[in-house]
Amino acid sequence: MAETVTPDLLPAVAPTQEQQDKPESDLEPGFLVICWNDPVNFMDYVTHVFQVVFGWPKKKAEFHMLQVHEQGKSVLARESMEKAEHYVHQLQKYHLHATMERDD
Amino acid sequence: MRISRQQEKIVCQMGRRERDLFLELLPLYPRTPAAHRKLSKSSILPDAEAAQKLLDDALAEQRDQNRQLLEQLMLDLARFQVQPTGLKLVLSEADTEWLLQVLNDIRVGSWVLLGSPEDPHTVEQLTEETVPNLWAMEMSGYFQMHLLKALTGD
Repeated sequence: MAETVTPDLLPAVAPTQEQQDKPESDLEPGFLVICWNDPVNFMDYVTHVFQVVFGWPKKKAEFHMLQVHEQGKSVLARESMEKAEHYVHQLQKYHLHATMERDD
Repeated sequence: MRISRQQEKIVCQMGRRERDLFLELLPLYPRTPAAHRKLSKSSILPDAEAAQKLLDDALAEQRDQNRQLLEQLMLDLARFQVQPTGLKLVLSEADTEWLLQVLNDIRVGSWVLLGSPEDPHTVEQLTEETVPNLWAMEMSGYFQMHLLKALTGD
């Protein structure tokens, strides 16, 4: 069986009709994904969820978990509206207190 | 609870008392009120209402899926072995991951039902109404930490 060859350069992907219909501001990385502190989620659990959702190494996940714990919140990502929504959905599936806010 | 890894599986062996507690705990899922969380604090997102509905729908779908997975698990004799001396769980990593979500739903939901206290260990009034919530919150946390330990190997 022939192996799939991975091209060195990825072709430019044309925006979908849905993307074309969206205002440009929604596609720009202008939305913050924020995790807020709460007294119920375990620190180890929060670290684990960050690793699963963002694919971060443990050290980075722990850094953000501690920021949430000590400073009340941590900005986890700055993304387009669509991607920020995706991350908030994932984090909330694990019952973390996460929201997305416009980065003004 | 004794936990070991056997090839790709996580094996949890519970004693009789843990089994009874676990079997009492699982039917409490889902416990977190629907539409408990907001997508944004500021509500100045484009199409905020539609985006919030999308989140609520996604979480409702996840709840239904987890409920089905839980029912399937409890009927699957290969993965969920109720024994006279306890309970043996044989889980894949994916099973363990959603079971963690289920247990944390029970934990967070119980905390919400307690009135979302800042310090969950100092619930002001322990009454017939609050005690089951405190119990469920603590017990789900207990099992959650064991599963997490098994998953992360820490």
